Amino acid sequence: MSYTIPIGPYHPALEEPYKLELECEGENVREAHLQIGFNFRAIELIAQSRNIIQNIALFERVCGICSNVHTLTYCLALENLLGIEPSLRAQYIRVIVAELERLHSHILWAGAAAHILGFQTLFMTCFRLREVVMDLLETISGNRVNYAMNAIGGVNRDLTDPQTIRDGVRQIQKAVEGQLLPIFTNDPTVRARCAGVGILTKANAIAWGAVGPTARASGVAQDIRQAQPYLVYDRFEFSVPVQESGDVLARILVRALEMVESCQIIEQALEQMPSGQWKGQLFVELPPGEAVARIEAPRGEVFYYIASDGSEKPLRVKVRTPSFVNMPTVRLMLKGATLADAPLIQASIDPCYSCTDR
Amino acid sequence: MPSWFALLIFPGFLYAVPMGWLMLWLERKILARLQSRIGPPFYQPFFDFIKLMTKEPLRRASGEDIFYLLLPLLALGATVGSLTLLPILPSSASAVGDLVLFVALVEVAPICLVLLGFLSRSIFGQVGAIREATLTIATNLPFITALIALAYASGSLRLMEIASNAPLATRAIALLALLFCLPIKLRLNPFSVANAEQEIYQGALTELDGWRLGLWELTHAVEWVALSGLIASLAVPWRSGQAILDAILFALLSLVLVVVLTVIAGATARLKLLQASRFYWRWGFGLALLALVVSLFL
Repeated sequence: MSYTIPIGPYHPALEEPYKLELECEGENVREAHLQIGFNFRAIELIAQSRNIIQNIALFERVCGICSNVHTLTYCLALENLLGIEPSLRAQYIRVIVAELERLHSHILWAGAAAHILGFQTLFMTCFRLREVVMDLLETISGNRVNYAMNAIGGVNRDLTDPQTIRDGVRQIQKAVEGQLLPIFTNDPTVRARCAGVGILTKANAIAWGAVGPTARASGVAQDIRQAQPYLVYDRFEFSVPVQESGDVLARILVRALEMVESCQIIEQALEQMPSGQWKGQLFVELPPGEAVARIEAPRGEVFYYIASDGSEKPLRVKVRTPSFVNMPTVRLMLKGATLADAPLIQASIDPCYSCTDR
Repeated sequence: MPSWFALLIFPGFLYAVPMGWLMLWLERKILARLQSRIGPPFYQPFFDFIKLMTKEPLRRASGEDIFYLLLPLLALGATVGSLTLLPILPSSASAVGDLVLFVALVEVAPICLVLLGFLSRSIFGQVGAIREATLTIATNLPFITALIALAYASGSLRLMEIASNAPLATRAIALLALLFCLPIKLRLNPFSVANAEQEIYQGALTELDGWRLGLWELTHAVEWVALSGLIASLAVPWRSGQAILDAILFALLSLVLVVVLTVIAGATARLKLLQASRFYWRWGFGLALLALVVSLFL
């Protein structure tokens, strides 16, 4: 018996609106169709009608999970255009907030994956852990979602309480290593659902241009933090976890191990952080020209392009998000999967539709 | 004990409905505590029922309403009927072959659920109904085999005689096999495949609302009492002879089963249809077969 099952735009397994239409033969998925654009807010167009400082607040709102990534990349692109470099302390603060945000994003994703697996207890464990990260971010910035930390040439707030951050990060690392990793890797029901499911081969990952944890789980060792270090990432010792199997379990493992690495980066950053100037500039004169910046967001490479004619408003700001390139790989993974796997497979790339649709 | 007493009072409606609500509450409360949440107060399932029954449901085509009324009522009646056959009190009415009748009655509810799923004409309802039907077949093989083993070992098709006569080895293995079948029959993790929310919403129940859903939730509550009651009443051969004591022992044993099932549900992820079926064909049926072999040779 063949039928078409719509998943979305509103569905318990989706965090954000998008649509996946599954052509099923019994429980098996024969073909999958993706529809995006339900979250379109014309942010790139709006950016052309506001000045560059106002746009920082605008790009903060591209995404609710990785809001800092967008302002960071936007500010880096502007700084490239202006030819200025933020002070060392500001760069360290940016790294700490960026890594805390990566922790937050990965824990949130682990919870969402547990929810889709029907493992409510694990979901609650993850979300309780997420509270710790959110509290840390609140300690630094006063905000739990949109941190508003980045300014052109610096940050908006100093980091005044490193010990609280250190304690919190250690608590997170302990929980990730002691609870999340063992449950995700050893629980027989989780293994039964994740191992060998939704495989993306290395060749396909390269051919379809997958980025971030999705690519790294398929054996493609690429991380911009190491390949083309920005900020002060070249001063830290950390490894980039890579898995070869390319299934959902590999994507879970890559993210879990990345969380541990992030904790270590934060500890090193707190250790090395110099004192000094951290404030950004309030008024800047933008020269005519073009600039780009790219960073490693929790989901992969985020790329910003800015064109300016010398006026206070940008001519064009182009955003390229990791979900946009990872999403087509879902079709490959879904072919031959079962209906029960479909929500998990689409979630395994950690798709962010508000980033993609903007 | 007159049969009207069994049907209406104990272990029938007057016992089964509040007990079912208590079990639903206990399930939610334990899950909540496992997940560091507070959980609902004990009267919550009762309030849920009242709320659902008083809501104005969506209007449906005139021919459909009668089925939405009759199918849950049929399921409810059959499940309460199956409950009255359980050998709880020494004076429980016991007829020849009541084991067969019990199996027949307890299977009415899943069949009604499958019909409701197809009746809803929602794609999610239909997929849920297909899954429910597949799993019912997968789980009934070990379920019935285990009961056959018990019947053979005690030389009778009367539940009362099974409860008092079955030898310990067969009884232990067969009851374990029956316990294996409970998560699927009650649609609990790791076998909550037919009502997998993140895949197909509520499965066969997706389109049910208001009193239609309320009636079904009531049936589900009584299903809890009947299925945990089957194991509770067969587990202990000893009866005190005093009706109240026996009833309390039965209720406590049933509640222990709820705790066991809920803790398993709280510590597992949901399996897939194929994995769940395979589990029952391999382990559930294997265990039931073992019980049968033991009953043949011991």
